Amino acid sequence: MRNVKIARLGALAGAVLFLATLAVLLARQFSLGPERPAPDFRTFGPAKAPVRIVEYSDFACGACRAAAGKLEELFKVYGGGIRLQLKHYPLVNIHPWSLDAAAYADCAGEQGKFREYSALLFENQEKWGGAKERPAEFETLARDLRLDWPELEACSAAPRTRRRIKLEMAEGEMKNVNSTPTFFVNGKRAVGPMQLVEQAKKFDNILKAAHCGPLGDCTEIQGKPAAF
Amino acid sequence: MNSKISALDILGLLARLAVGGMFVYAGTIKLLAPAEEFAYAIETYKVAGAQLSLWAAYILPWLELYSGLLLLCGIFTRFNALFCGGLLIFFEVLLAQARLRGLPVTSCGCFGSGSSNSLGYEFFQNLIFLALALAAYRYGRIFSADAAMGTPIAANEKTDKETA
Repeated sequence: MRNVKIARLGALAGAVLFLATLAVLLARQFSLGPERPAPDFRTFGPAKAPVRIVEYSDFACGACRAAAGKLEELFKVYGGGIRLQLKHYPLVNIHPWSLDAAAYADCAGEQGKFREYSALLFENQEKWGGAKERPAEFETLARDLRLDWPELEACSAAPRTRRRIKLEMAEGEMKNVNSTPTFFVNGKRAVGPMQLVEQAKKFDNILKAAHCGPLGDCTEIQGKPAAF
Repeated sequence: MNSKISALDILGLLARLAVGGMFVYAGTIKLLAPAEEFAYAIETYKVAGAQLSLWAAYILPWLELYSGLLLLCGIFTRFNALFCGGLLIFFEVLLAQARLRGLPVTSCGCFGSGSSNSLGYEFFQNLIFLALALAAYRYGRIFSADAAMGTPIAANEKTDKETA
């Protein structure tokens, strides 16, 4: 009798554990986990903007370069209505230098020039993207922007810089990011610049619902204009 | 089981819910974040290498979730209270050695690596949960699946019955 009762409890335990496992796996599938914010230098737009975009990007990918242009246009149109967080997702298997590029860009960000350095990385993508040996462009571009190169080099090799990027890659993997650029616009996935543009068609309605003015003028409710 | 509910029973039930709930929360929050995040937190304790830390980060959150859930439901209550207590003691040892060695642990990793209190605070908090795990072990059988199934779990429970 006692064995029967223990067997019943065992079956109940099995059922509970099975359901818990299922719930966790489903929650992972729908990306319900907590999210690490991108550092300030990779975050653009007001904190309470109604349109929230998270982009997983790779500096060596051509579509990411195109997407950067589209994002700039969106910021021109919807300005204060958008908040963008850029996250690194270097596809290291096909782009051998993109992890380094991401590290250099972050370190340029720490010196206050993330936007400028990343724009130059995209512009010169063909020169360094497929290089067989360590590209000289990282240094040339940094010097063009008058960044402190020795500091930039030390920072890019620092474990904390690499760790931050690798954690973003791991976060992307959990969100099933398979290609770049992948966007999450208010949580909804868009892969590539075209899908982003498709989702942008809904921005007017989102901003209207949030009582923002024309051209995404949300300064009244947020008190701070957007910048990208 | 005695039909009259005593204050100790209530204490045991609350302790069971508190410890179980805390383990479920701690496990879930880690399971929904990349394992690498928790692995980095484990590495800062300097007791395991990168690979072992990663394995621990894969396994430990599931153990926390499962044992917490079983404790919450009161399934094999005593075994799970003991298991949770064991895990808490293990965490206490890790925290204490980090404190004694003066390791720069910025995130204890207790509830994911997003936020963290000081090592001393976490150590004290764990002590409270350890006491609650003991209470759950001793008195946590009320409103449990164990009680519903009428499973005599331990020898002293039989003794209680017999005495009653």
